[in-house]
Amino acid sequence: MRKRVMKKVISLGLVLAFMSAMLTGCRFGFASDPDDPNEEEKEVPIDTSVDTFEYDSSLSGTNITLLNSKAEIQVALEKMGAEYEKKSGVHVEVMPVTDGDSPYTKVVSLYNSGTPPTASILDTTDVIALAEEKAADLSDEPWTEEAEGYLTEVNGKIYSFPLCIEGRGIIYNKPVIEEALGESFNPDDITTQDEFKELLDRLVEAGIEKPVSMAKEDWSLGAHQLQYIYETYEGTSEGAQEVIEKIKAGKLDLATYDRLTEFLNMFDILKKYNVAKGDPLGADYDEMAIDLADGKTAFWFNGNWAWPNISEAGAEEEDEYGFLPYFLNNDKNDFANQQIQASPSKQIMLDGQIASEKEQAAAKEFLNWIVYSEIGQQMLVKTCNIIPPFQNNPYEPSDPLSADIYKKVHEEKAFNASAIVPNDHWAVLGASMQKYLADRSDREELTGDIQKYWDEQE
Amino acid sequence: MKSKNSGKDFCMFALPGMFCFFAVVIIPFVYGVYLTLTDWNGVSKVKNFIGFKNFAGVMRDGQFWTSLLLTFKYVIFVVLIVNVLAFAIAYLLTRGIKGQNFFRAGFFTPNLIGGIVLGYIWQFVFSRVFVSIGESTGWKMFEVSWLSDPTNAFIALVVVSVWQLSGYMILIYVAGFMGLSEDVMEAASIDGASGFVKLKSIIMPLMMSSITICLFLTLSRAFMVYDVNLSLTAGAPYGTTEMAAMHVYEKAFTSRQFGVGQAEAFILFIIVAVISGLQVYFTKKQEVEA
Repeated sequence: MRKRVMKKVISLGLVLAFMSAMLTGCRFGFASDPDDPNEEEKEVPIDTSVDTFEYDSSLSGTNITLLNSKAEIQVALEKMGAEYEKKSGVHVEVMPVTDGDSPYTKVVSLYNSGTPPTASILDTTDVIALAEEKAADLSDEPWTEEAEGYLTEVNGKIYSFPLCIEGRGIIYNKPVIEEALGESFNPDDITTQDEFKELLDRLVEAGIEKPVSMAKEDWSLGAHQLQYIYETYEGTSEGAQEVIEKIKAGKLDLATYDRLTEFLNMFDILKKYNVAKGDPLGADYDEMAIDLADGKTAFWFNGNWAWPNISEAGAEEEDEYGFLPYFLNNDKNDFANQQIQASPSKQIMLDGQIASEKEQAAAKEFLNWIVYSEIGQQMLVKTCNIIPPFQNNPYEPSDPLSADIYKKVHEEKAFNASAIVPNDHWAVLGASMQKYLADRSDREELTGDIQKYWDEQE
Repeated sequence: MKSKNSGKDFCMFALPGMFCFFAVVIIPFVYGVYLTLTDWNGVSKVKNFIGFKNFAGVMRDGQFWTSLLLTFKYVIFVVLIVNVLAFAIAYLLTRGIKGQNFFRAGFFTPNLIGGIVLGYIWQFVFSRVFVSIGESTGWKMFEVSWLSDPTNAFIALVVVSVWQLSGYMILIYVAGFMGLSEDVMEAASIDGASGFVKLKSIIMPLMMSSITICLFLTLSRAFMVYDVNLSLTAGAPYGTTEMAAMHVYEKAFTSRQFGVGQAEAFILFIIVAVISGLQVYFTKKQEVEA
């Protein structure tokens, strides 16, 4: 009898444990990975009737693997792979990078075990670290002509395929602003830091007490915010590299570097109007999306990757969201006040070490298929919801944030600069930024931390 | 004849185990120690021998020593609280109180949940549930998320670890208490030993073998904590709750200083090995036979 009771108790305990585990898995999710793979996506119809792409029939039957580090397009990539297989006979297996693994760690461990993926989706810094040792040279691929300005070169050679453009800035919710102010809002009217501040003050008067959301995550603070100080040096990747070299060599005094001062001025404004001002390090990422969609706030510093969160918080694709630049000063002619940052972020690198020639050829054909075939072009934009860096792709992304970046890129209201920084930059300086955000350090200490970080680099 | 036989026995029984042990523990360990002497970055084909430069790198890495100090603090709190709590609860749960089996299962349940999941559950509790309790009641203590303040985040880590580890230790202590001979206890009572004297002079020495195991388990687990650390705070706020194991991982894979990370891991190993070795030696000495 006692044994039976015991059994019941244990099984009840187990059920409870599993239930709580399941609940956490589905309901609360992870801040850095907003995309719930269980969620049913509505199907975007792809027109497969026209296809003028020429397939190399000798490749049929080849198996290639693609390591995917962009979790939100896992399902979309699988669909793309299946569609490509139908046409070409090449089987594409899409392997996800699991939670908790960094893409770099994953690809390195696969290399060390002798089974690297034929192609891997990686961040630009990872590609640079691996390119010369492992990657296949892609300099002569036809698609390089369509992606001008978005290619990453390592010692004059191209080793990676730019998969998407991502941009960041201050996301606004237009209807919320208009409703609060009782007048129409034109984002182009805001051209300087002072005008932005004035707008914030008017919103406060109109009843939106704290109109700004700011993520406390170190990748947001350390990479997306702080890197403005390198990227706005000239608005180019080369400029960013140049300023980093100067800081490393001690030729640029950070204390008097105007972009750092300007950046901190803007950061202080965002900090002052932060909805989580009372406990900035307790701010919750998912809640920020909800606040923005509900109109508790009007602005959120983030990038177009935030759309799935905002959409999950109740926003529709017809809603008017868009980006304001990260205003650095009051000079209307300064490009930083006119343009938002948008550059290629994820890159596909092909293995040139272990993969057979046939596998490499199949992977190369897959990349060309994405760029040149009518189906690949559609699927890249519609299925994966990606902003394509290829000029020949006629399709436009549908969600308002990506659409706004797409528009800005084509109107030259976006600058293409991405700073290549060491891999722990976001973590180490993200911590310093958190400290500054929480008012536990001042500008001097933060500046000192940045200088110290660069001094330690070789 | 005899030696031949034992050779066969050895092959049959010990070899498979030995093989696995060597394959997943000894060889990687030795290889790891070798890597601390090279400049390998995890990718390149060539490994250059650079002597003890990586260890010099460890000396320069102030954050490592800070995190090690924090780990010591954490270990002291966790080991003490877990063992005192588990001992006390196990004592209560072996006195025949109503529903003790239910309680035993209940206390053990947290141990069945993986550290990562547990960390995320508690993260939600600390940053959302507590805060909304604070909002509705006005209690100062819950006004802001515990995880945004260095001291409170540390307390949160200790609380969650204690909650997770205690169940397991309770189980071991319960087994220990059940093994206590009734005769000895009765004899002690007849001799006039009061509750406290009984605990000090009879129960504690007889429980020493359980204590040895529990101390060893909690010590090594607390030193090596990674999963709860990662999912509950991930070092936040601003890197103040980063424990040694997590720092080692970050050093090797985020900062990509493979050699330095490996050297730090080796140092951490030596510290844990020495401390738990000493602990086992000293507590073993205290063990008595009834």
